[in-house]
Amino acid sequence: MSDHCRDALDRLYAYLDRELDTDTVTEVRAHLEECPPCGGAFAFEERLMVVVRDGLREEVPQAVVDRLRSALRSEIL
Amino acid sequence: MQYAPQLYTAAMRMARNPTDAEDLVQETFLKAYRAYDSFTAGTNLKAWLYRILTNTYINKYRKDRRRPIESELGDLEDLYLYKRIGSEETTDSSRSAEDRVLDGLVESDIKEAVEALPENFRVPVLLADLEGFAYKEIAEILDIPIGTVMSRLHRGRKALQASLAEYARDRGLLPDPESEDE
Repeated sequence: MSDHCRDALDRLYAYLDRELDTDTVTEVRAHLEECPPCGGAFAFEERLMVVVRDGLREEVPQAVVDRLRSALRSEIL
Repeated sequence: MQYAPQLYTAAMRMARNPTDAEDLVQETFLKAYRAYDSFTAGTNLKAWLYRILTNTYINKYRKDRRRPIESELGDLEDLYLYKRIGSEETTDSSRSAEDRVLDGLVESDIKEAVEALPENFRVPVLLADLEGFAYKEIAEILDIPIGTVMSRLHRGRKALQASLAEYARDRGLLPDPESEDE
């Protein structure tokens, strides 16, 4: 693993979380394009984040919504 | 009742059961309603609601289950899950091995793996991965420095990956760990 790879990996989450400034994003992207192992790793991590987010979703049961409404209504009245 | 579905999802992963999750969301809305005067119009309503939710959760549940900070997660390597796939040489294409893991993990694996994280890691992970809050917002919601947000997210996600790797192994999506030690 080169220093460039190390730098990119250190920025993995900040990159995926869109917390980097544009210059740094450009730098990371340039590395990902020229380094297939890092590119592959980042692509995997990005897909995993989507899988995790989707897996965590929860439907609110209608009964819960109804009870929340009436709790709020009795607070307001 | 804007944000009710999102808050309920977060509450489910925090409280880990529907009854407590519903209580949490209800308490959050009631507190928000009562404290609405203290909310500055034009600022981030969603973050404000999550701050109430998180504080309510922590105050309510931390009492009966004190958890040591940080020490609970040992050192884990980066790209934990990805590297486990990478070490697999039995399939002809690594791309399909990745797909198999990502498609093969089911919702309950992900929910259980997140719920198993210690609270001080789980909450930042939920706020980032589920809700997409910025680091700065998470820092404000949890009242912790941004550097702490980053390190907890980093370590929490690594621990999450280690746990997901277990689920993937149990489902036969990854090779047995013994065969990895060469």
